[in-house]
Amino acid sequence: MAENKRILVADDESHILHVVSLKLRNAGYDVLTARDGQEAYDLAVAEKPDLLITDYHMPQMSGLELCQKLKQDPSTSGIPAIMLSARGYHLEPQDTEQSGILRMLSKPFSPRQLLATVNEVLNRAA
Amino acid sequence: MSLTDNPVQSSHENHSIAIDAATLGRLATRVRAGGMFLCSIDQAAKVSSFDTSADAFYLKYVLPQIQSPGFPLVTTQLKLIDCVPGVVIAVFPVIDRKQTVSTFLIAARSPDFGISEDLLRKCSQLSLDATWLAQRASSLPANDVGQITWHTQMIADALRDQMRVSEMRTEMDSLSNQLSNTYEELSLIYQVSSGMKVTRRPNDFFRQCCLDVMSVLGVRGVGVVLRSESLKQIEPAIYGEVELPAGKIERLADDLMVELRARKSAILSNNLAADKRFGWMGEFARQMVAVPLMRDEQVLGCLFALDVENKPDGFDTVELKLLTSIANESSIYLENAMLFEDVRGLMMGLLRSLTSAVDAKDAYTCGHSERVALLSRYIAQQAGLSEAAVERIYMAGLLHDVGKIGVPEAVLQKAGRLDPAEFEQIKKHPEMGARILRDVKQIQDIIPGVLHHHERYDGKGYPLGLAGENISLMGRIICLADCFDAMTSSRTYRKALPLDVVLTEIRRCAGSQFDPVITDAFLKIAPEKLMDLLKDHRQQMMRYSEASQLRVA
Repeated sequence: MAENKRILVADDESHILHVVSLKLRNAGYDVLTARDGQEAYDLAVAEKPDLLITDYHMPQMSGLELCQKLKQDPSTSGIPAIMLSARGYHLEPQDTEQSGILRMLSKPFSPRQLLATVNEVLNRAA
Repeated sequence: MSLTDNPVQSSHENHSIAIDAATLGRLATRVRAGGMFLCSIDQAAKVSSFDTSADAFYLKYVLPQIQSPGFPLVTTQLKLIDCVPGVVIAVFPVIDRKQTVSTFLIAARSPDFGISEDLLRKCSQLSLDATWLAQRASSLPANDVGQITWHTQMIADALRDQMRVSEMRTEMDSLSNQLSNTYEELSLIYQVSSGMKVTRRPNDFFRQCCLDVMSVLGVRGVGVVLRSESLKQIEPAIYGEVELPAGKIERLADDLMVELRARKSAILSNNLAADKRFGWMGEFARQMVAVPLMRDEQVLGCLFALDVENKPDGFDTVELKLLTSIANESSIYLENAMLFEDVRGLMMGLLRSLTSAVDAKDAYTCGHSERVALLSRYIAQQAGLSEAAVERIYMAGLLHDVGKIGVPEAVLQKAGRLDPAEFEQIKKHPEMGARILRDVKQIQDIIPGVLHHHERYDGKGYPLGLAGENISLMGRIICLADCFDAMTSSRTYRKALPLDVVLTEIRRCAGSQFDPVITDAFLKIAPEKLMDLLKDHRQQMMRYSEASQLRVA
C-alpha cells in the first residue's frame, strides 16, 4: 500500500517534520522534507511527490500560496495536499478546493489520524 | 559475511555497542575508493565481515591469507603486519569512550609490490596466476606504512563520527516517537475537552469520549462504567469490535468497580486469561487497561480499553498515560455535571414547591401545573423543537399559573359564574406571574410563556390582546395545554368533558383560539399519553378529597 509512494512534508517547525517523517517512514512511505514554502515548491517540481503535507504558516511562502502555485503548474497540479494549521484557524472552503487541498488538520493533530488520512487520500488518488 | 549485510556487534564486559550495517558499509566504500580493503575482526580474532565489493586482488590474494589459521589478528593497539608479500596491513582497535568498539584490519598494496619468491610461493599455494596478480596490483594505488597509519586514524575518527550520527538519529527517532505520543495525547485531550459541556448528557459525553479514545489508541474496544448516586446512572457500555454477551458487560462493570475501589489505581493486564479476577474475560479479549474516574478520592467509575492492535507486547505506559489523562479530563466533566445536576435539582425542587403552593389554593386545580407542563412538553416535542427548548417549555408550563398566588382564594374557589370584577382579578394572573418571575435571572426566557398563556390566536385573549405569531411560541403551546386540562377537569360549575368532545372542541378552535400549527402538533400526541394525564388528574382529585376529609374529621 505504502510502497514507492513519496510524500513531501513542509513545515518550518522541525519537531513537526521529525514526527511526521518518522510516522510516515515507519509506515513504509518515502519522505522528503522542506523547511519553507520555497524549498517545498522547488522539491515538488523536481521530485513530483505523490502527496504534499504542508503547514499553513511558513516563511517565504505560505502553505496556501504553495498549493496555489503547484496547482497552476500542469506538471504539479495533480499533487493532492493535506494542510496543517493552527487550531481555530479557518480557510475559505473555495480557497482550499481550488488549491488541491483535500484535507485540513488542526494542530496539535493526532499523528495516527494524520497517517490514516494519508492512507485514505493516497488510496483514493490511486 | 559482508560488511554491508549485518550489523557487527562488539562487546566488552557488559557493554556492547552496535555498529549498524549502514555505517560499516559507508566506511568500507570510502576505504575501497582509496584502493584499500577493510575487514572487521571479532573478539575471537576472526574476520567477522569484509568488503565484498573490494578488488579481486584483495578478495583472492589477501583475504584467504588473513583468514588462514594463526594469522596474528589479536591486538589492543595499532599493529602493522608484513607477512603478506607486497601488501601493507594494519590491525587496530577503535576505542570510543574508553571502550573498544571494534577491531579492524585495513590492507593496501605496498609501494614495493613485486614478483618475489615469497609472492610466487603464496600464489601457488592459492592457485593464483602471479602475472594476473601483478596486473591487478598495478591498477591499485600504492600506500606505504605512513599512509596506512594515517588511514587507520581516519577510519577510527570516521567510525566514531558515524556512530555519533547514528546514535543521534536513534535518539531523534525516539524523541520524535515520544513527541508523537504527546501529540496524540494533546489532540485527544483537546477533542475530549471541547465536548465537555455540562449540559451534555453523561451518556453522550462518554460515548464520544470512548470513540475518540478508540480512534487514537488503535484498540479493539473502549468502554465506560459509571456508578454514582448523585448522577443519573448510565449503563456500562463498550464500543468497538469487542462484543460481550448479555449480562457479561454488567459482570465486567461489577468486577472493575470492586477491583478499582480496592486499589484506587489503574489496572493493566496483558494476559487476561491468566488474571485472577478477570480470567473469565479471556474468552473475549486478550488485554485490558482500566483507569478509575475519581471524585474526591472516590472511584465513581472507570474507562477501559481492550486489545491493542499492532503492538505485540500489549498495553504499556503509552496507553496507560493517555487513558489516565482522558480519565482526569472526564473527572472534571463529571464534577461539573454533578454540580450542574445538583443546582438544577435544587431549582426544579423550588419551582415545584412554588407551583404546589399555587395549586393548593384550589382543589379543582390540584396537579394542574404539572399536567400542563407535561402536555406542553409533549406538544413541543411533536412540534420538533430542540431538547433544550422542550425543557424550557416544560418549566414555563410548571410556572404558568404562578401569578394566581396573588388572586384571592375566594375568587379562585368561587362556585358558579364570576362577576365582571372577579373576572378582572383573575385576568391579572399572567402579568402577576411575569412580575413574580422577573427577578429570577435564570428563567427570564420563560416569562413570555407565563405572560401569554391566555392570549388567543385571533387576538381576543388577555392581557395584551396579541394575535398570531406576536404571541410567544411558549404562550401558544401552554395556552392549548392549559385549555385541554381545564376542559378535562371538573369544575364547581360543570363536570369534566369526555376526551372525544374535548378533542373536537380543540380542533374546532384551531385558528381562532389556538395556533393551527400547534393544534396539529397536539393532535399527533399518542392518545395513551393523554389518557395518562387524565388518570393522573383523577388520582390527584382523590388524594385531595381524602386529605380534606381528614381535615374535616
